[in-house]
Amino acid sequence: MPFLVLPATVLVLTLLVAPMAMLFKISLNQYSPTELMVEAMSGENYLQAISDPYYQNVLVTTVVVALLCTLICVILAFPAAYWLARMQSRWKSTVTVLTLFPLLVGGVVRAAGWIALLGNEGALNALFRLFGSTEPVQMMYTPAAVVVGTSAVVLPYMILTLSSVIESISRQTEEAAANLGARPLTVFLRVLLPQAAPGVLAGSVLVFILSMNAYATPVLLGGPSFAMLAPAIYDQFTRAGNWPFGAALAFMLLTTTLVLTALVSLGITRGLKRA
Amino acid sequence: MNIVKLNRRQLLASTAAIAAAAAMPRSAFAQSGSMVASVFGGDYADILREAVDLGIMEPMGVEVIQDVISGEARQTKLRTELNSRRSSMDVAVLADLDMFPIAELGAFAPITEADVPRLPAVIPALRKDYAIPQIYSYIAILYNPAVVETPPTSYADLWDPKYKGKVGVSDILHMATSAVAAIVGGGSVSDFEPGHKKLLELRDQQEVRIYPSNETIAAALQSGEIWITVNYVARAYSWKNAGVPIEHAVASEGAIPIAFEMAVPKNARNPEAGFAYLNAALSPAAQSAFTTKMGYLPTVTDAELDPDIAAQLSLSDEDQSRLLQLDYTYLMENNTAILDFWTREFKA
Repeated sequence: MPFLVLPATVLVLTLLVAPMAMLFKISLNQYSPTELMVEAMSGENYLQAISDPYYQNVLVTTVVVALLCTLICVILAFPAAYWLARMQSRWKSTVTVLTLFPLLVGGVVRAAGWIALLGNEGALNALFRLFGSTEPVQMMYTPAAVVVGTSAVVLPYMILTLSSVIESISRQTEEAAANLGARPLTVFLRVLLPQAAPGVLAGSVLVFILSMNAYATPVLLGGPSFAMLAPAIYDQFTRAGNWPFGAALAFMLLTTTLVLTALVSLGITRGLKRA
Repeated sequence: MNIVKLNRRQLLASTAAIAAAAAMPRSAFAQSGSMVASVFGGDYADILREAVDLGIMEPMGVEVIQDVISGEARQTKLRTELNSRRSSMDVAVLADLDMFPIAELGAFAPITEADVPRLPAVIPALRKDYAIPQIYSYIAILYNPAVVETPPTSYADLWDPKYKGKVGVSDILHMATSAVAAIVGGGSVSDFEPGHKKLLELRDQQEVRIYPSNETIAAALQSGEIWITVNYVARAYSWKNAGVPIEHAVASEGAIPIAFEMAVPKNARNPEAGFAYLNAALSPAAQSAFTTKMGYLPTVTDAELDPDIAAQLSLSDEDQSRLLQLDYTYLMENNTAILDFWTREFKA
């Protein structure tokens, strides 16, 4: 019954493939200050995006931030997901909804919360003043604020993905290992983690992609001097009015995300097979 | 029975409506309906809503829908919709230097006295054939008088070592700030190149603080994080009213005027209503409302001003004579280069 996929295919073709094709065409055009852009078939924008040290740095910052967020999320989400998956109380559905709750609040609103917490006049600095600090500690507009803020945004995705995978792992395998004398750490490393690896992989891919493309959090918490790719693309389209270069940067972000995701997935899958 | 009655009522109502419509003068008919004004948010939108949308347009039978987005988003919309059959807006507001390149693309309908009868009241220096000047202000030095004891006199004072670490600039005013650096560096409004060295000095020697928005500049002035900056005098006026310790000084090099302009896209759905909106925005009442509440100066010669406010905001004749008008063509042609230097060198 191939016609069942027809509605979804039409939707994807019209709303994703067609705009992407248009964007690709734009990326081959040339910038002109007096016109919207000049029709061309040139790879110049890509060459500039790849060879320019400034954008190389922006790309590296973006990848490092995304990797850090992914790592932080795995570390923070695993215990929470385990607890949620193994929970047998009647509160389980409530806790699941609570985990989802942050997703109901927009990224901008959450960033505003971080500003109230981390700003020079914010709650944390007020606390430091109580303990005798005179100069405010600069926490806003730092890369650390972006990593913390972005991790908080994407954490629920990791928890929910992991917990659904952990739920499917039979508890008896852990009990059997413990029964045979394995310490809790060994149980975790040799029994639980290998079985949960597909969940870690799925969650990491999801979180990595979301962090690579983060826009609101880097802009609001990173401040004007902190550059990641999504805001840089927006700047090219809106402030510089240079659509062709903005489009080329967008494809650079897309390609990097795809390649890194594929490499990581491949690496983990191979590692799993060997184990 | 009931159904028949209802139908007869409906018939009567529609007949009456058609008769009323036929009796309406043609101009009123053309200006009726609804229109979209793409404007800035916050106080700005509230004042327009009260003074123009509800004060003038609604009594004319025009319902105004505000499309509140950033100027950058509006420019992008205008560029995108350039070749569409219909624009998503009937009126667009932009700062003069942003309006010019979009007008150069041929996005706007020409403004004539026939469409905007209030046009003759506009200050001649601010008149354009593609837009009306809605409000204007000028860039000056803003400072905290509690810590800056001698009022600054020149833009070069921002480079004074005694303000090291206490100079702030707003990221969104990158054009005006680059212009100021150019003038201090020996360049002009048509040559920003000499400003590069000065911008880097501001970064390295003065340890300038860069803020993402004008609102964050106000907060930094309030908390004492910065003492001195360049910004619109209108902003200084509102911030002062809100309790921020702030004064402004017109630099000897000249104040940089910035007008916010309104234009009607040539493919607007309801251009008649759009022009009527422009005319309403030029009415003395709407002009005075912006001065009193936001500190922007009227762009028409016949708006009444509170003498106190006028004394605070208006430029002296001497200052008027040395206004530094930005060179739109130069900015349009060098926009990318100026922004590139700002983003890649200055902010990096």
